[in-house]
Amino acid sequence: MKDSLEALWQRARSEIKESRSIEELEGLRVRYLGKKGEVTALLKRVGALPKEERPSFGARVNALRTDLEGLLEASGKAIHESLLKERVRRESIDVTLPGLPVDPGGLHPLTKALREVLSIFYGMGFTVYESRETETDEMNFVKLNVAPGHPARDMQETLYLTDSTVLRTHTSPGQIRGMLELNGKLPVRFVVPGRVYRRDAADASHYPVFHQVEGLAIDVNVTFCHLKGVLAEFARRFFGNEAKIRLRPSYFPFTEPSAELDVSCMLCRGEGCPACKHSGWMEVAGCGMVHPNVLRNGGYDPRYVSGFAFGFGLDRVTMLKYGIDDVRILFQNDKRFLSQWRGL
Amino acid sequence: MTMKVPWNWLREYVDVPWEPEEAARQLTMIGLEVENLSREDLDVSQVVSARILQTCPHPGREDLRVGILDVGEKRFSVVSGAPGFREGNVVLLARPGAVLPGGRSIGVAEVGGVLSEGMAVCSNEVLLGQDPRPHEDIIVLPGDTTPGVPVQELYDLDDYVLDLDLTVNYSHCLSVLGVALEASAFSGRPLVLPEVLKSWDWAGPTGSCRPQPREQGHLSQKEEGLRRPEPFEISIELPDTDLCPRYLGKIVRHVTYGYAPLMVERRLLLAGMRPVNAIVDATNYVMLETGQPLHAFDFDKLRGGMIRARRSRQGESLRTIDGEMRLIDPGTLVIADSSGPVAIAGVMGGMETEVTPDTRNLLIESAWFDPLSVRLTSQKLRLRSEAAIRFEKGVDPTAQGAAAERAACLLAGFTGGQPQAGMAECDRIGDPSKRILFRTAEVDRSLGLSIPEEECRRIFCSLGFDVADLNCRDGEDGQMHVTVPPRRVDIKEEVDLVEEIARHHGFHRFREENLPSAVPGGPPRELAREERLKDLLSSLGGLEVVTSSLLSPGELEALGWDRDDPRGSPVTLKNPLSSYESCLRPSLLPGLLQVLGHNQKQRARGLVVWEMGRVFFPAKDNLPDSLPLEVKELALASYGIVHQGSWMGEERQSSFYYVKGLVNALLELLNVDSPIYLPRAGMPFHPGKSARIVVGSSTVGEIGEMHPESQINLGLTGLPTMAWLSLEALMGLSGERPYAAVPRFMPVERDLAVVVPEEVPAGAVLDCVRRTGRSLEDVMLFDIWRKPPVPKGAKSLAMRLIYQPRDRTLTEEELSSDRRRILEALKRDFEAKPRV
Repeated sequence: MKDSLEALWQRARSEIKESRSIEELEGLRVRYLGKKGEVTALLKRVGALPKEERPSFGARVNALRTDLEGLLEASGKAIHESLLKERVRRESIDVTLPGLPVDPGGLHPLTKALREVLSIFYGMGFTVYESRETETDEMNFVKLNVAPGHPARDMQETLYLTDSTVLRTHTSPGQIRGMLELNGKLPVRFVVPGRVYRRDAADASHYPVFHQVEGLAIDVNVTFCHLKGVLAEFARRFFGNEAKIRLRPSYFPFTEPSAELDVSCMLCRGEGCPACKHSGWMEVAGCGMVHPNVLRNGGYDPRYVSGFAFGFGLDRVTMLKYGIDDVRILFQNDKRFLSQWRGL
Repeated sequence: MTMKVPWNWLREYVDVPWEPEEAARQLTMIGLEVENLSREDLDVSQVVSARILQTCPHPGREDLRVGILDVGEKRFSVVSGAPGFREGNVVLLARPGAVLPGGRSIGVAEVGGVLSEGMAVCSNEVLLGQDPRPHEDIIVLPGDTTPGVPVQELYDLDDYVLDLDLTVNYSHCLSVLGVALEASAFSGRPLVLPEVLKSWDWAGPTGSCRPQPREQGHLSQKEEGLRRPEPFEISIELPDTDLCPRYLGKIVRHVTYGYAPLMVERRLLLAGMRPVNAIVDATNYVMLETGQPLHAFDFDKLRGGMIRARRSRQGESLRTIDGEMRLIDPGTLVIADSSGPVAIAGVMGGMETEVTPDTRNLLIESAWFDPLSVRLTSQKLRLRSEAAIRFEKGVDPTAQGAAAERAACLLAGFTGGQPQAGMAECDRIGDPSKRILFRTAEVDRSLGLSIPEEECRRIFCSLGFDVADLNCRDGEDGQMHVTVPPRRVDIKEEVDLVEEIARHHGFHRFREENLPSAVPGGPPRELAREERLKDLLSSLGGLEVVTSSLLSPGELEALGWDRDDPRGSPVTLKNPLSSYESCLRPSLLPGLLQVLGHNQKQRARGLVVWEMGRVFFPAKDNLPDSLPLEVKELALASYGIVHQGSWMGEERQSSFYYVKGLVNALLELLNVDSPIYLPRAGMPFHPGKSARIVVGSSTVGEIGEMHPESQINLGLTGLPTMAWLSLEALMGLSGERPYAAVPRFMPVERDLAVVVPEEVPAGAVLDCVRRTGRSLEDVMLFDIWRKPPVPKGAKSLAMRLIYQPRDRTLTEEELSSDRRRILEALKRDFEAKPRV
């Protein structure tokens, strides 16, 4: 019996060592160490031995069992490792092959720029009022202090729908509609983004359809200094902290005093270049203190409240910000153009 | 409006303490935008004064003479045929090697067989850089001019021109004097007026701020001593005082036709006007100087000794100085003599009475015409002369007398004419000056800067306004009455005065101040949702486009909307610039198609685009003021390859189902209930590949491949497919989906394949499965099979059913009974058989 134990030991060890797969090992484990396995069978036979031989035989069988268990585990580990190694080797890929194409969509630069503009004004307490694109002559001109025959009508070549209705030439009628909607409530603080129309032939700097952002703030004690502060803040946040601003007297029938907002030229940093006509400044927005007649037309009493208004071309500031030199490209929608604005 | 101001001319009236560049900056900062500053230094070299020592006849030609010219250190032999080429005269000699401003080089040349060392030049060549005019004589300098002095030192050739781009309220700056006054006010330097203009009421009735008189300049040397009483020979009648309340006629006798002095011609040129003859130039010079347009009639050609500024009558016509016979609309303001119109007031004179070389006596017209009337007439006739531009903006109603006198004086100097003392005038204008109450507190309130009373007073005075204190009652400090001279047509009320204060105090002196906060800003809810929707569309892979709202009717016709479709009859423009942009888009689809077309031409292999914007429909009623309906829509379009292929997989093509997938995903993200697609037949879509998109009971949009005919017409390939959705409808249907707890039990999947007749729509089968199954989370169609063993005329639909029980694990039995129930329903509704 002792002999058969030793033979079994020898056989089991060599079989385990020779096995090459986890399944084979599992078979050997069952065959030798399972409930009906050969080593288990040996243990069962301990009782048949003379009493004095039992302890030593038992110890031998246990040693055999421990040995085989260790061996099985070691072999299992070795096989697992070699299999893993083999798998890794087999599965290696050419990591330099291209990744699968992902073609994300994206927003038009005008939308991106408008969002940036709006978020700046939101931060200063403005909300948005969306006004009409088709307007009455009354709203587009008369209520804005531009009576029939007013020379300012020459400033804007108007597209008419009928004798008394127009495509709005500016977002300014939104001032009147927005004020009327607020019905005398204070403070008034909103911007009007939207499309406007002029009877212009398309060229590098004109397009018959373009976009403006109008702003209006009314309250007791709103002053020219506030106008200056708000526009300076806007310019710095939109064009960058290094942007300098200046207000220069100008004329609009619906504001007085009226001013033109100039921002230091981004291309030459104010030193003068062809883009800014060597002045170092870029004309960005028209603005001013709301004319008393306009306040009255919006239902506010100029004796008690005052306000400022501004308006600028979204297309223009977008072009300035991104360095686009032809407005037509914005409306052409070439894929190679649109794809550039998908990022953050 | 633009105004070109020659620098030296400006400096004649005000000695500003600035270099030209600085002046340009300063003027810009008080609202007179200098768009461009150009240096006008004529590049003339080697042209010097030279005395003609002697002349002798040319041996070969009778019309020429040969002269010896002395330039001090040297003598030249020169040939010339000019009348001024006479012994003793000092002329300008272009020495050999000289280059004239026009670019012409002068050398030693043979003239009729005699060598001429250089050339005696005339003014047009050397001072204006132009060709000589017919019969133009050479320049003859004053006899005491030293020979050998370069032309630059003789004439003021080094000049600058300020190009002003004036806003419409600054019509008072459409004159050199107007600009000079602003410069004087801002710089504090006195304004110096020519003597004859001092009668002009610059400072309003009281004249407390009247500018200082000026020493006589070179243009006014002959202003005095020419007046000699003579009887008026013209009467003026103003029947239409609403259009012409003031008309002055100044008679100048015995003029000789010729050219104006060089410096006048040069200044006119620099100011952008063409020199014509001494008479016209004098009137133009005064117009540029004072802003008052003048017209010179040949007095002897006016009939009946009378001038009438009246509305024209039916059938009147006039040959204008450009030679055109013009029929005058009845009611147009004309200047007439006893025989009929001789000028269209403020716009253009008549040919018959214009100044010619034979003109002996002049009538200088100096009038005030109604701005709107001139504007309408000049627009109608498409004649936008410098005069009309000034009348349109409103000229100073007090300038007429002074301007006419000024012109008469200049004419006396230029032509030897004799101004008749006094002038014929008819004047129905009242006192046009305005008195306005001004409170310094208003400046504080609207500008946010407290400007002292003295500063306000200083600014008003420097602008020529008259300031009178109020009788102070109840301690109302800081109030004053400001009388504004009539030339300032832009100033009507207190706020206009506040602007003057802000402008001349300097915008740069105002602080930047933050608005008081505590007002919550941010977008309205609808706008925020629309913006979020744009993000969703981008995340689905579409590129946003922005297209024009103006379309050509042709573009719409090409899409062939049905007659009863509102999109077939768009809102049209009354005065489109071209027919290409003559109607308002009733749909976003034409714009998107243009985008597809452009990109296909640019060889883009495919595109997915979308746009959100307004479309327009005619107003429901026909009232004159009714506005079109403006509706926000969203549209998608694609063609060609919408998903790139790669070494691992095939590319994906645009198709109806691709766009449908986008629409469905979008609706799902908007939390809109699943839409139904009802087949639709009609333009602009492919009749067999289009559908109405219906949610609940309302149509929210349409989808389809373009009609094959439009595809051919527009040259589009790659299955161009489009969809539009009503944004209003979507936003109305879109809600917030409440949070659903994540199920604790695992989902179970089962596949089911059924064979149905070909004509059964797959959507109906899927709907039936969804309705019938219990605990079904989703049903996905993953295969369609039409080949054996599936019989002809039938198709097999293979679906994956995903069960998601909420409260327990489903048993096999439950799953099988559900399968049976579904199969029974499909059999009942569609004669479907399970595929085995």
